[in-house]
Amino acid sequence: MTDKKNQVSRRQFLNYTLTGVGGFMGAAMVAPMVGFAIDPLLKGQKDTEFIYVMDVSEITNEPQRKTFKVDQVDGWYESQVDRTAWIFKTEEGNILALSPVCTHLGCTVDWASNEQYPNQFFCPCHNGRYTKTGVNIEGTPPTEPLHAYEYKVEDGKLLLGKAKKR
Amino acid sequence: MKYKTSDTSQYTQAKEYIDTAIIPLIPFSFVSDQEMTQLSLQKEMTQIYIDQIEKELKGRVFVTPEYYYVKNDKISDEKLRLEEYVNHINKQPFKYIFLITPDNKWRKITKDMDVDLIWIPVIKEGNLNQSETQQLIQSQVKEIQSLIMDSWNE
Repeated sequence: MTDKKNQVSRRQFLNYTLTGVGGFMGAAMVAPMVGFAIDPLLKGQKDTEFIYVMDVSEITNEPQRKTFKVDQVDGWYESQVDRTAWIFKTEEGNILALSPVCTHLGCTVDWASNEQYPNQFFCPCHNGRYTKTGVNIEGTPPTEPLHAYEYKVEDGKLLLGKAKKR
Repeated sequence: MKYKTSDTSQYTQAKEYIDTAIIPLIPFSFVSDQEMTQLSLQKEMTQIYIDQIEKELKGRVFVTPEYYYVKNDKISDEKLRLEEYVNHINKQPFKYIFLITPDNKWRKITKDMDVDLIWIPVIKEGNLNQSETQQLIQSQVKEIQSLIMDSWNE
């Protein structure tokens, strides 16, 4: 009786093999598709290049506007684009490089450009405001802080990477 | 915002914030070699101006597709077509419409229309990659930008 239980019937054998083969075929079809689908993600990680922007000794407590060029691959187009950063030292002495792109709808914010708010970043489009460290001020349109660039310091030189959400 | 999928889909979600349309008016001609060179330079410059302005004020301005026309001394022939174009753009709730052009002939015929004309001074010949030209453009972009912002604050 136990012998019989362990034996595989013809029907079962065919079922197993067919499911097995079918599974392999399915996997063979799906695997490349998954690969294509997440390909941009896999590639995206590679291009975190850091670019020289200014000397660390030049960084002040007052935000300074600096532009630098980045190679950008944007779907079909490959181009050099200008990036801008507001760079300064925080009260704790850390370097902060803020992206000037308003988190509301993408206008360019300016430091202390509005006389009423001399110590804030100001967006000319819909009067969005941020504190010096880039935190959005409640009651104005932006819903999140300004993005900050990743940075590295090498031999007294400040290198900037990508602007990231904080 | 520009007329491309990523921007238009953002626009349709946030129309109440984007109340300004910018229409580039760009003349072209194939009649004489000299005019071809000049007008293509003007077109390139106009596009640089508009790209810069769009970058600064992306969240409130929508740059429409370019309005191209054959350069002609009798620009009044274009009036009707431009009016139709503007009326068409106005199907969306824009409050401000700016026309940006290197062609100073538009001034007379846009007077009685509900639009603002911004004429950009162009160089006759030269290289757009020269740093003096770029500085010139940068400073004029600032001017145009504050002109647009002034009309928002009126």
